Amino acid sequence: MGFLGPNGSGKTTCIRMLLGLAKPSEGRVRLRGEDPLRNHVEALTRVGYSAELPNIQTFLTPREVTELAASEMGLKSSAGEVSRVLEEVGIIEYADTKVGKLSKGMVQRLSVAQALLGSPEVMLLDEPMIGLDPAGTAHLREVLRAYAREGGTILMSSHIMSEVEDLCSSVALIHSGRLLFRGTPKEMVETVLGASIIRVEARGLTPDVVELVRKVDGVVGVDEADGGLVVKARAGMEVRPAIARLIADSGADLLTIAEGERMLEKAYIEALKNGGAKAE
Amino acid sequence: MAGPRPSRVFTFSAYEVKRALARKKVLAMVAFTALLDTVPYYILSTSGTNIIPADLFPYLWIAGVLAPFSLFIQFIAILIAAGAMSEEYEAGTAELILSKPVSRSEFLAGKFLGGYFLLALLIVFNAILSLVAATLTYGPQSGLVTLPGVMLVEIYSSALFFSVAFMFGELVRRSSLSYILSSALIVSSQIIGSYLQLAYEITGKTYYESIHVYLPTTIVGSLPLQYEQSLLPSSTGKLFSLILGPAGGTPSELSAALMIGMYFLVAGGVALVYFRTADVTRRVS
Repeated sequence: MGFLGPNGSGKTTCIRMLLGLAKPSEGRVRLRGEDPLRNHVEALTRVGYSAELPNIQTFLTPREVTELAASEMGLKSSAGEVSRVLEEVGIIEYADTKVGKLSKGMVQRLSVAQALLGSPEVMLLDEPMIGLDPAGTAHLREVLRAYAREGGTILMSSHIMSEVEDLCSSVALIHSGRLLFRGTPKEMVETVLGASIIRVEARGLTPDVVELVRKVDGVVGVDEADGGLVVKARAGMEVRPAIARLIADSGADLLTIAEGERMLEKAYIEALKNGGAKAE
Repeated sequence: MAGPRPSRVFTFSAYEVKRALARKKVLAMVAFTALLDTVPYYILSTSGTNIIPADLFPYLWIAGVLAPFSLFIQFIAILIAAGAMSEEYEAGTAELILSKPVSRSEFLAGKFLGGYFLLALLIVFNAILSLVAATLTYGPQSGLVTLPGVMLVEIYSSALFFSVAFMFGELVRRSSLSYILSSALIVSSQIIGSYLQLAYEITGKTYYESIHVYLPTTIVGSLPLQYEQSLLPSSTGKLFSLILGPAGGTPSELSAALMIGMYFLVAGGVALVYFRTADVTRRVS
């Protein structure tokens, strides 16, 4: 799940409350069915956490940091597990270098590595991609995908909408401590923008075909773009088969027809206008 | 809720020892202890002074064990304890540690015991170094059967300032401020003690001495001193007054031991209650 919201909206505070590090001013918090304040050990068993801009003991090495974490978790024969997670995030060659000498990106990877220890059921990641270079981001994305494929659950706060769109099957949007929206990224786009966006890439489109597309049931707008069309369809309406048939029948070459990318960012910005009224 | 698990407490104790040793100021204090334990013996033995009677030579190791205890060792105690919790908040590392399935009691107990173990090692180091230096400069030493006991008594007595500084570290969550507060307690207790002793000597009014007896520095300093004096020949009394100055009023050994225990329980309890109920603050500096 992608946890979205502007700076100061309460994402980190929510995560800290889930971890039992901060008390809620009202209401209840449950993690794996347990109260993390009263039953900290039970609630946090098999939960991994990586902080935003993590502060890690500079006098320890990555190996020592993960060994300490493994020891806290009571992992038996932790040496192999420590090497596994350091290798997984790509810092095994720095395993014995002091954390104080590592780059921000390496520290971020180390933070994720210690969160992966013991194959947790749930991972709480606060801005996990901060400080990573593009290669590091791509690598970590793969690590998280593999973890999710194996059945793990991730709650990830992020300001990078493309990451969220790419990785998350659901999103939650909060603003000023209030939950504004919860659902799939597609639902968020449709709810906030009132339409879904379809990108059509085709060669040989004529004005007549564009006009026919405009008349397809459910289509509320069509813009011509370089090499194709941007089609706005009513929320919940599947218009792609009809559009694809029209283009094929016209003799034009249909290259791709897909839901538009990067729409989550637009929806996010739109949702936060007027204090988030559009998303509620 | 289950109590602290020994394995987790041990994990945090080992971590605390490593963390404290990584700090340069603790290492500087160790180096300073070594100097304090060796240089005075060397200077006294080579200066040709006859300030120390020859019959006291076999007991001079006691000077190195007891003289630095009431102030210098206590400053080392607060240096270790004041930063034990507060530096975790300042560095922002408490958050990462407590995001694992460990209880706060385990973390707090581990940090306390780790720091206290390090202090105990320094007290042992101080005693052994004093013995070696005294032997090398003044010949074979006597009364060594009391050495393990006096070390244990010193370790126990140090619990007072150690736990108070540990509590300040948790309450204010700033290492410098907690160190200043703990130091202020030592220094003010020492100064007030001197004034009270002076007032008692001038006026002869016993309540000045009664108050003096209950000051933290008096309690801490008196217990090892009384323990050692009770076990050594009376002729060594000259040595004690020579090194430690004129003796003021002191609590009985039992009273001193009880008061140290009380300080430990109150300070430790306050730190535990506060730590269990307060939020784990994020990086504060």
